[in-house]
Amino acid sequence: MPSFLKNPADEAVVYALGPRDGYTSPLSTNLKPACPALVFGEDDFRLTPAHEHALNGVAQEVSPNKKTRLLIAGYAPPNLPQDHARALSDRRALAVRQRLIELGLEAANMQTVGFGNDFSPTGPSSAVVVIYRQN
Amino acid sequence: MNARTFLLLLTLAVCDGTRVEAGVLDTLRGWMGLGGKEESIQEPEKVMPRIRIGSFSGGTGASAQKALRKELLESREFFVAGADEKIDFTVEGSSIGGRVTGKLRDAKGKELFQRSYAAPGLDENLKALTDDVIYTITGRPGLATSRIVFVSDRSGKRQIYICDSDGGEVHQVTHDKFGAVAPSLSPDSSMIAFTSYRSGFPIIRLLDLNLGWERGVTDTPGSSFGSAFSPDGTHLSAVMSFIGNPEIFVSDLNTNTAACVSDSIGAPSGPSWHPDGRQIVFSNDEGDGPKLYIVEVPQKEGESSRLFRWRTGYHFCTDPEWSPDGRYIAFTTRKNGEWTVAIKPYPNGSVRVLQAGGAQHPSWSPNGHFITYVQHGELFVHDLRSGNRRSIVRGYGQITEPRWMR
Repeated sequence: MPSFLKNPADEAVVYALGPRDGYTSPLSTNLKPACPALVFGEDDFRLTPAHEHALNGVAQEVSPNKKTRLLIAGYAPPNLPQDHARALSDRRALAVRQRLIELGLEAANMQTVGFGNDFSPTGPSSAVVVIYRQN
Repeated sequence: MNARTFLLLLTLAVCDGTRVEAGVLDTLRGWMGLGGKEESIQEPEKVMPRIRIGSFSGGTGASAQKALRKELLESREFFVAGADEKIDFTVEGSSIGGRVTGKLRDAKGKELFQRSYAAPGLDENLKALTDDVIYTITGRPGLATSRIVFVSDRSGKRQIYICDSDGGEVHQVTHDKFGAVAPSLSPDSSMIAFTSYRSGFPIIRLLDLNLGWERGVTDTPGSSFGSAFSPDGTHLSAVMSFIGNPEIFVSDLNTNTAACVSDSIGAPSGPSWHPDGRQIVFSNDEGDGPKLYIVEVPQKEGESSRLFRWRTGYHFCTDPEWSPDGRYIAFTTRKNGEWTVAIKPYPNGSVRVLQAGGAQHPSWSPNGHFITYVQHGELFVHDLRSGNRRSIVRGYGQITEPRWMR
């Protein structure tokens, strides 16, 4: 779990998103995921040890190449109220981005988006975050 | 004190004690998250104004008179009086070629208004006249010309549609490449704010329904969704996450500037304005399910605002919407594992479950007498006075996110 979510009283640095210019949406084209989709509990946005393990792997792989850009996209199950689903998926994507920043990735090279249940990712679960490579 | 007096005093004390105990129990149930007992919306006793439909001259006058009678009866705002009955108001006029001129007088014969309506159809003109009569007499907007927007996947993608308050005249209004969702109608029904996926990312756009132009409100990184017009139509509240955290922002539509009004570490969604434009209710999930919060909107730059949790007694609450008079908030909750539409008086009172069994996303009619919601992809209108409901749009794909004109 990112440190800023553990205790609201803790000092935390939240990095604003940089310009989205040049980023491609997974709705427009097929993008390659940087790792298997991170599956969340239906109503949860906290990162689990399994997520930490996967994100460590992404950080190790991506860190050496400073030009690698990632789009972190959150999705939510179809049974949730639509606006809550968007918020939940957005929060999940931002939690993943925050953890990757803490693991040393450049904040400027990561964008997030929450698709809620407006679109479904391929795969057995829709309560997921998918980290797409941009180049 | 004789035995009869003692018995009477004892009875009064017990009855009084029971009332107090019931109130305390309801309060405790609320604190414990159990919800209070259900109760219906109590409206003060009122006498319906009595209106007579006078003569309508002209070639389509007879048709106009008949159609106006139907509209006024269906509005349930008046007693439509016969020729010899006592009246408070008279409406009369003329109709030629579908155009209508209507005149409203009070019991003393004083003219309250005279207006002409020149839309292409007779029905459209009479709906406008009906709403003007209702507004002039009751001070509340009529529903004859009001509109409901909703999302449907009928075309294969989620797009925004609009219909009138009885489900007629359904039109698709967006044709965005990857879809459009989360619509909100401006108070005068002239504009729709919505989340567009045309670029592949969720951004908020405005569509002018009269002139046809469209423009972006946000094109910020991250996500933008959940837009809601302020009661005066000059501001838009929405969720945006470009600062690295999803927060509720209020955008000034004239200057295109935005200010953050929430302070969340969770997942805020579904903002809705109080009719005075000074408070916003929204849903926020801080990791233990979405709950309802209220934030005061700063009226001046630098003014601090209060943010507090508004307890409903339920653990999962989304899609809140304030009633037009500010006395109630409707919301979606989960009861026995099913989506349920509920209403709670603001600031205090007991929750009333309006519709269980999968009902979601309530939205109030402009006069506060009805609520629209979706249930299993169908669009319903629920009469809060009678408790009756009816399906107004069905078999039109999967319908979600209805919003009535505010």
